[in-house]
Amino acid sequence: MIRLILAIEVFLIIKTLGNLGVAVTGATIVALVAIYVWATRHKFGENLIPLNRDEMPWLYEGIEELARKAGVPMPQVYILDDYIPNAYSFGNTIVLSLGLFEVLDKDEIVAVAAHELGHIKNHDTIWFPIITYCRFLMMTTTLMLIVTGNALVKMAAVMLYIAYELARGHFMKTREFLADETALTLLSVPMSLKRALEELKYYEDLRMNVKVSGVPSIEPGIDREKRFTFFIETHPSYEERLLKITFELNNLMGIKQRVR
Amino acid sequence: MEPHEFKLTEEGIKAVLPPLEAEIMEHMWKVKVGTAGQVYEYIKQKHPDIRRSTVSILMNRLCEKGLLKRSVEKGRGGMRYVYSITTTREEFEQRVVQKILDALVANFRDATYAYLSKIQK
Repeated sequence: MIRLILAIEVFLIIKTLGNLGVAVTGATIVALVAIYVWATRHKFGENLIPLNRDEMPWLYEGIEELARKAGVPMPQVYILDDYIPNAYSFGNTIVLSLGLFEVLDKDEIVAVAAHELGHIKNHDTIWFPIITYCRFLMMTTTLMLIVTGNALVKMAAVMLYIAYELARGHFMKTREFLADETALTLLSVPMSLKRALEELKYYEDLRMNVKVSGVPSIEPGIDREKRFTFFIETHPSYEERLLKITFELNNLMGIKQRVR
Repeated sequence: MEPHEFKLTEEGIKAVLPPLEAEIMEHMWKVKVGTAGQVYEYIKQKHPDIRRSTVSILMNRLCEKGLLKRSVEKGRGGMRYVYSITTTREEFEQRVVQKILDALVANFRDATYAYLSKIQK
């Protein structure tokens, strides 16, 4: 769906602006690739500590075992100096915040890593940046079409942009569920993923309650940095994920057969 | 740490800190340095239903309030946050008293001085 939307957008821009459209689109792509390269390198500057096997063998070997089962190379693992429990992945890298180690058991931390490894195995760490950066491309081309196109083109451009946002949100949510599903097949104790999410949901809920009921002036730093989400939510809620995981756990045997 | 409110009906440092934060601080003043896991194990004895998330959030709130500080330690068990006190209990109590008296003098100067001289006698 996303590919179709992008193809129609490119067709529209070439049809409306000709060579100028191709040139501006090309320049935007080059700029976005440059920003991506810069952003990827910049990430390594933000309090990331590489994980050595000797420091936490249970974690290193746990992820090694998951990678072996998933049939992917051992990812680079970094520990993020952040007290808020968080995990993310990019390229062949998994980042786990130190906050996770305060609130989760060892097998639950491995379960969180399994979810991130699920993203790597499913190539989400390649697709997510592409889709995110294509969004900026869509913004640029939509703006150009609105400025230069006739009424029909303007309307089509807006409709295409809305369609892209909806498709992007749906795609990313689906991939989150798929990463959970993959993690369940990789974990020797699949229930640990459910327990980890329950604890993380509890943490988030409690943090929000603290924020609501506390005196704002004495806890300015407790808030996580606000994520810019525009109007389409790309991440499923903990409730949605837990519901799916519960369902998937009940059908675990079926999942294993599908993945094989 | 600057106290923002004083609860007249509460005892000890619970007058200026929420109950669980006060309990954590009481413990931290005794041990001086500890991880959230160690504090959780201690608090759990009195509050069996408490979760590690609660202790972690509260200890980080105490960091935000300047009563604790957090640092990364690499040890045998791997990397972890270690929390330590930034002030002794005595220094904290002195600051609370100072802050409250400053506020009283600023708002009720004559009455405050009159009462202080009365209780001094």
